[in-house]
Parts: sequence; C-alpha cells; structure tokens
Amino acid sequence: MIRRSIPYWLFASLTATGIIVAMLVYATLSIRQTRINPSQNVLPGIKGLAVGIQEITKQRGNEKKPKPSWLVTDAKATYWRLLLGLSAGSIVSILVGVGMGAYSAAEAFFSPVITFMAKIPPTAMLAVYMVVFGTKLEMYVALVAFGIFFTMVQSIYQAVKKDVAADHIDKAYTLGASEFEVIIEVIWRQVLPRVIENIRLHLGPAMVFLIAAEMLFASEGFGYTIRQQSRLVNMNVVYIYLAILGLSGLLIDWLLLRLRRWLCPWFGE
Amino acid sequence: MKLQGILVHCFRRSSTFFSVGLATGALIGGVLLTGCTKSESDSGVGKVTVNGVAAPQFTLAWSEYPSWSVFGVADEQGLIDGNPGALGSIEEKWNVDIVLNLADYDTCIGQYGTNEADAVCITNMDIVAPSTSRPAVAILPTSTSAGADACIVVGINTIDELKGVSTHGLEKSVSQYCFERVLEINGKQPADYPFVNMDPAAAATAMQTAQAEIQSIMVWNPFVMQTLADRKDSKVLFDSTSIKEEIIDMVVVGKDSLGKPGGERFAYAVLETFYAVNKLIDTPATRDETLVALGAKFSKLGLEDMKKVVTQTQFYNSPDQGLALLADGSKFRTATMPAVAEFLVSHEMVEAKPTFGFGDASAQLNFDSRFLSGIRDGIAPDSVK
Repeated sequence: MIRRSIPYWLFASLTATGIIVAMLVYATLSIRQTRINPSQNVLPGIKGLAVGIQEITKQRGNEKKPKPSWLVTDAKATYWRLLLGLSAGSIVSILVGVGMGAYSAAEAFFSPVITFMAKIPPTAMLAVYMVVFGTKLEMYVALVAFGIFFTMVQSIYQAVKKDVAADHIDKAYTLGASEFEVIIEVIWRQVLPRVIENIRLHLGPAMVFLIAAEMLFASEGFGYTIRQQSRLVNMNVVYIYLAILGLSGLLIDWLLLRLRRWLCPWFGE
Repeated sequence: MKLQGILVHCFRRSSTFFSVGLATGALIGGVLLTGCTKSESDSGVGKVTVNGVAAPQFTLAWSEYPSWSVFGVADEQGLIDGNPGALGSIEEKWNVDIVLNLADYDTCIGQYGTNEADAVCITNMDIVAPSTSRPAVAILPTSTSAGADACIVVGINTIDELKGVSTHGLEKSVSQYCFERVLEINGKQPADYPFVNMDPAAAATAMQTAQAEIQSIMVWNPFVMQTLADRKDSKVLFDSTSIKEEIIDMVVVGKDSLGKPGGERFAYAVLETFYAVNKLIDTPATRDETLVALGAKFSKLGLEDMKKVVTQTQFYNSPDQGLALLADGSKFRTATMPAVAEFLVSHEMVEAKPTFGFGDASAQLNFDSRFLSGIRDGIAPDSVK
C-alpha cells in the first residue's frame, strides 16, 4: 500500500541493493569496455581508479617550489567560490524575498524582472558576467549568487506571503510590536526553515554554474581539472573528482539539514 | 463494486512484491541498457551495399577548423555523405560508409578515447595522451600552423616587456606549447612568463571586451583574427610562423578501427576526399566559393579574411607535401616529435614518454605514410582490404 512503512531490515537491504546495483552497472560497463580495448581508460576499473586517487593527492611542483596536490588546490578554489557565491546569493535573496513578501511596493518593483530573469540560464550569459565582473573570483561569486538568486528569491517571497498567517502578524501588532520586530520575530522565524531548505535545493544548480564557469575561465578548481583531464582522456582522475563532488554535496546537504533541525526543531522532519 | 474489490485486494497483496519487482526491473533495465548501447557501432556494418557487398561504416569526428571543415564541404559537395546509410561518390568508389560527426574539439578527443569514433581530426600534440590508452595511426597531415596560433597583446611592444605579465590561453595544449617554444627560440626562459589557463574563446572575448587584467592572450584562429579585428589597439607579439611544421593538424584513425574489414579503404577514402576538396580550393574557378563554404561555420570571417586564414593554416594540399613532412630524416621526425614528447612529460600530460613510430605498427602513435603514397600512386580500391 502507498506510504505503508516497511520493516527496517527490508528498508536497509533495499538501500544496500540500490548501491550495489549502481556499482554492478558500472563494473559491467567497465569490463565490457576493457574487452573492447584492454588499455582503455574511459571506464577504468578499480586499479585505474586507485591510480586516479594517487594522481590527485600527489604533491606537485619540485623541491624548490613545492605545490600542494591537485585535490587541495582545486578543493580550496572551488569551495571558496561556492561558499562566497552561495552566501552572497542567499543573503540578497533573503533581503529581497522578505521585502517583497512584506511590502507590496517591493513586490511590484521586483516581481516582473525576477520572474523573467529566473527563466534565463545563467551559464548562457557568462560573457555578460565576464564584462561586468571580470575573470577572477568576483565573476564566480556573482555567477553563483545571481544564478541562484532569481529562483531562490521567488520561493522565499512565496513563503513569506503564504506560510506566515495574517493573524500572527495582526497579533504581534496588537501586542505593540514595531514593524521591524514583526519582520524579525514573526516573519523571519517562520520562514527560516524554508530558507535553509532553499539553500539545500540550490546547492546543485550552484555547483553546475560554478563548474561550467571554471571549465572556461579558471586556472584551478574542479571544473578546470575535470575539463583538462577529460581532454587528456584521464577519466580515472575525472571520476574520482565527480565522486568527491557527489560526496561533498551529500555532506553539505546533511549539515544544512542538521542546522535546520537545530535552529527550527518545531518545523519537524 | 465486486471487480473493484478484487483489484484492490490484488494490489494490497502485491505491494511488497511491487517494490521488489521495481528493483528487479531497474536491474534488468540497467543490464539491457548496458547491452544495447553501442551495439550498432560494434558491428561496424552499414545497411548500404555496393554491388551487393555491404559497405562497412566508419565514423570520423571532426571540429570546425580550416583544414578539417574540408570534410563538411565534401559532404555539401556530395563527394561523401556524412549520414549513416548513405554514400557519396568517393564512398561508393571505396565501398565504405563514412559517418561525419561534427562536435567541439574537446568532444572529438573524447569520442576518440571512448571508441565512439573510428577516426578524429586532431593535432600531433593532442593525440599523444589519448594514444596511450587507444593506439593511434596518423594517416593524413592536413595542415600546419603558420601564424594561426598567436600571442596577442595590448600595451606591450617587445617580448621583454611581456616578462611577468600573465598570458591567458588553454593550458597543456598547442597554445602553451607554441608560447614556450617561441620564447625558447628567442632565448628567453619560459618560467619567467606566466601562462594562465583560460578557454581560448573566453580569453578572446575577455580581450575584446577590454578586461583590464587581460593584457596578453595566446589563442588560435578564428580567435586571432577576430580579436585583432574587434580590438583596434591589440596586436600580434609573436605567432607560430617561427615554429612552422611543428604544430600539425591531422586525421588519426584508431589502430583497432584500421584493422577492421574495410578500415584501410576508409583511410584511403578520407585522403581522397581531402585532396579532392583541396583541388577545388586550388582551382581558380571554384576557389572563392569553396573558401567561403570552409569559413561559413568556422567563423564569421568573410572571403578576404578566409584567404588570410588559409595562409596562416597552411594546407598540405598534395600527397607529396604530406610525404615530405613524414620523410626519413625530416625535421618533424628527428626534432619536432621528440620535442613534443619532452613537452608532454615536463608538463605532466603523460606519465611515461609515449612511443612514436614512422611506419612502425607496434608504436602507440604511428605516423603511417602508406596511405599518402597509395593515393599518390593511384592505388586501386579492389587491392585494399
């Protein structure tokens, strides 16, 4: 029956089966490709992937000028850009979104432009970002921030409008709250879990925009190395990077979930 | 009502099985998918026949570049038909079905690496790394860069002034190779001249929009000509003319594909197609329209610019020129390829020095001039396997 819970052992074993099936599909593809071409590196086996791990964790540069491994260099660059972009985008979305939900004037002013811009893929206007923000850190931050802003602001604005009951606002006013207090104590508290959910949902798109920009402009970062190593057909390195991106995505997602449960325990699961 | 009750009952009973069934279905689906993909290209046999013999199918991955857009023009002219299951005149002669796969340069390299394409248009440098996992046979040098790769600067007049200024271009590519080689020839230390990675199209756009931090870029055509046209104060500091015949554009076939039935006929057909279009370029009556057709997708450059482009990308327009490049004791053989190999190792593009051969079937990358001499001597299609 729909939504009927299943015993824990069944749940756990189905979860494990799902992961095993995914691995089996990869293994089958890898073995088949190796049969076509024994020295292939397109779908590397375990040995090839191990070499890939070695490659990305190996110390670079020479004795005189030691450089950190690819992984360290790329992770620092990419996650710093992501952090700044996500933070900037979220903060602006919160300010504008709450403003739009609270004040009709802001709603009228922002709504048409935001609805229009939300439909434009930011990666398609990379050249515009470059002209305005250059080709360095600012460009990545702006791309991620604006990339998530237009859709995030819409859902925050909707949350402020729909999820905050009118009588809560009225009651706060009756008890003598100032406008600022209503926004902070009533509206913000109620939409905070939605905001965290939104940041979680926008992690994926943010990463897509960032990697795309890094593939074109960067001289370090995951996107840079993935493109370069793909060109050299070193797929063992590329897949390890993809796995790291997937795992780090899971981790950030989980951390945000914990943050939401900790800050807003009333919101439930 | 009764029927509905039975149905509900059935569904209830089956709900546990349903989820298991779903998983099994996914598993079977996955396996089927694995089995189905690429089965078509594995067989390598097309549907078309010539004199009752099936024409085997071979895929050529190409990107828009002066000497490679030749294949696009050949398709428009009906010399070959790039669609699977259709033959042009040259394909009929050699009884092979050439499938043209137009893609980005990077994508083409990927298609070669994944065995998706039998042959690929690629430079002598970029093929080295893929050839370590899929042995390659270079069958046709199509052109050499003689000014098509250039370092474009703004507000810099001499190579000495460039010292310490970041040059933007595609790292670990022909661009960086050309950049460092020209510096070496001029007696400079490449280490003093920082080279920063950026996609050539992006670097060209950055320079055209006058980004302050982009003072110097190292790109290839059409970006060279477009940047010079779009930004008046930019100029070429140096280009690939001083390392002529070091950067070679080629057509490369996978060793495995060449060994398939009809593989060698495919190679000959590719060469014949290339020289047939070259004839159109060299014949005054058809020259202009062929050049315009070549440039149509390659760039937004017009006829006058395309005339310049084909001097900067110098075509090897006859088998003799190709043979001269690969001849015994040629500079390409004794100096260029070893230098390229050195560059690849020092820039961590390959683990171990790859093996080159000239007519040596055991080498990872084999420059095979057999096909050039075959076409020159007018080899008969019947005598080729």
